Amino acid sequence: MRKLIWRNLLRNKVRTLLTVLSVAIALFLLTLLGGVYRALTAVGSENSAELLVARNAISLTFQLPEAYGQRLRSIEGVEEIVGTTWFQGVYKDTRPENMFPRFAADETLFEVYQEIEISDEHLQAWLAERDAFVAGRALAEKQGWEIGDRIQIQGDIYPVNLDLVLRGLFEWPGEEFQENLIYFHRRYLEEATGNPGIVGTYWMRLSSEDVAPQVIQTSEAMFENSAAQVRTETGEAFAASFTEMLGNVQFLFGAIGLGIVISILFITANTMAMAARERTTETAVLRTLGFQRPAVLGMVLGEALLVGGLGALLGVLGGSLALQGLGEAMQQFAPTFAAVRATPGILAGALGLGLVIGFASGIIPAVAQARASIVDGLRSVG
Amino acid sequence: MSDATPGSGAGAAAGGELAVEIHDLTKSYKRDRFDIKVLDGLSLAVRSGEFVALMGPSGSGKSTLLNLLAGVDRPTSGELRVAGQRVGGLSDRRLAEWRHRHIGFIFQFYNLIPVLTAYENVELPLTLERLSKAQRRVKVETALGVVGLGDRMRHYPRQLSGGQEQRVAIARAIVTDPTLLLADEPTGDLDATSAAEVLDLLVQLNQEFGKTILMVTHDPRAAERASRLLHLEKGKLVESEQEALGETAPSQPVGAREA
Repeated sequence: MRKLIWRNLLRNKVRTLLTVLSVAIALFLLTLLGGVYRALTAVGSENSAELLVARNAISLTFQLPEAYGQRLRSIEGVEEIVGTTWFQGVYKDTRPENMFPRFAADETLFEVYQEIEISDEHLQAWLAERDAFVAGRALAEKQGWEIGDRIQIQGDIYPVNLDLVLRGLFEWPGEEFQENLIYFHRRYLEEATGNPGIVGTYWMRLSSEDVAPQVIQTSEAMFENSAAQVRTETGEAFAASFTEMLGNVQFLFGAIGLGIVISILFITANTMAMAARERTTETAVLRTLGFQRPAVLGMVLGEALLVGGLGALLGVLGGSLALQGLGEAMQQFAPTFAAVRATPGILAGALGLGLVIGFASGIIPAVAQARASIVDGLRSVG
Repeated sequence: MSDATPGSGAGAAAGGELAVEIHDLTKSYKRDRFDIKVLDGLSLAVRSGEFVALMGPSGSGKSTLLNLLAGVDRPTSGELRVAGQRVGGLSDRRLAEWRHRHIGFIFQFYNLIPVLTAYENVELPLTLERLSKAQRRVKVETALGVVGLGDRMRHYPRQLSGGQEQRVAIARAIVTDPTLLLADEPTGDLDATSAAEVLDLLVQLNQEFGKTILMVTHDPRAAERASRLLHLEKGKLVESEQEALGETAPSQPVGAREA
């Protein structure tokens, strides 16, 4: 019977190929959506309720005067503050594997980002040298860097090249994708660019999350009449607003995914129904030979499951490769894109969905064939 | 033919033993509001080892009778026994098992599975039995040898002529050594030469291996090859038999004789 299922599958090779490919494309897209969605939802997870971010009220592409740092630091409830600036630049070349986020940060970085783990030895080594940088362990392993290695980042946004030496490695437990970036001294960037005195964002660690509303209000009011107004959000608020935004994304992704699944289900079901109907006489012959109804049911269903399963395998494989490429290409813009990958959960889900599509598309024609009258089936002969 | 030899098993001729017993068989179909009676109180007895030809105009109930005998359809009333087994009362599952054990069906259009080779087509019914691959091979090769296609085992149906396809279908029908071979116009789609070959084969199965055969045909030349000829008209046996192949056959219609 397995032989017959397989031969039936290959009976009309073009039709089978097209159906398998349609399932594969659907599952490819779903795997891709799943991976990207995972990366997007991972963004909010590193934010602590005790972290605030102050940025230019216009948008993230506008910066803040360096002088704001001292004033923000003076607000009651702010324990520590770190200014960070997005450098971008080019390391070696623009190939995806050489793209990773590069941030200039103040020395207080690890006092604000307490989730990051770095040994005291590495921290002190970084603090001690003007051109030192620290890298996430995952990135260093990927690039084959060792402590003491020198790298050059060519400026693109900024008209300077940075010569940096690796002095420390950090880890971000549970957020491995956050290890795919480097931090160097903002002071070094300032000096190299002629001390323009600008900062991308200020991250503040609060004494407690209870003071967050007050700090937000104070910080925004503090620069209300300045040329560069400030917008401050708590880590939680940021996560909440992000989640809120993701609510739409989730709906969008869900709607797209559902649409893909339903349309592909109809296509596959139609193909299976046609395939089964064409074999009505053969089914009747099999039953005349003594094959039972469940055997007929299994034969049609088995073929549908094979179509769904093969399509899912192809789609998941393609989706997984595409996610890997996408993650590498996009992580230079945001570290979270390093999290773009097909997790075992996504792969298993997509494979399962392929089988569900196969089952759902095959069950109706399978039952119809199993229940069909032998006499009617034989009568449909020529 | 070892185990697979037609005639060595349940279908072996056993002088006078009844292979088929039909009493007052009725079959009606509902078409819209109308009940259409296809078989009307039909009675018939076929002895083991007989080769019966069944003729009659289209719509006379020949194929319906064959379907009832094969257990692929159920009678409206009356009794139908094949090899002593009352067929009508079996459940679907038991009926399928019974069909596999007792019935070999030969179709007008061969009905081979196109994606399977001649060997695989003949092997198909055997996959329902607990047989090793080697045991199945012996039976399949024997059956294909009997029909003279031992050298065409790896051919697909599309690579065979019509006559060869029908012979593969006959091999498939006899490979389980059934009690009764039912043939529904087995030469209806064949040229004269191929038809003669197929009929020769059926006669051989009947005479050499003692297979009981019931053949529906429109072709008088095919009917002549049978040992007994029955005519069906409007669901009734109106003329029951004739002598063929020089064998002795009852001279009265079965219904009349029983009456």
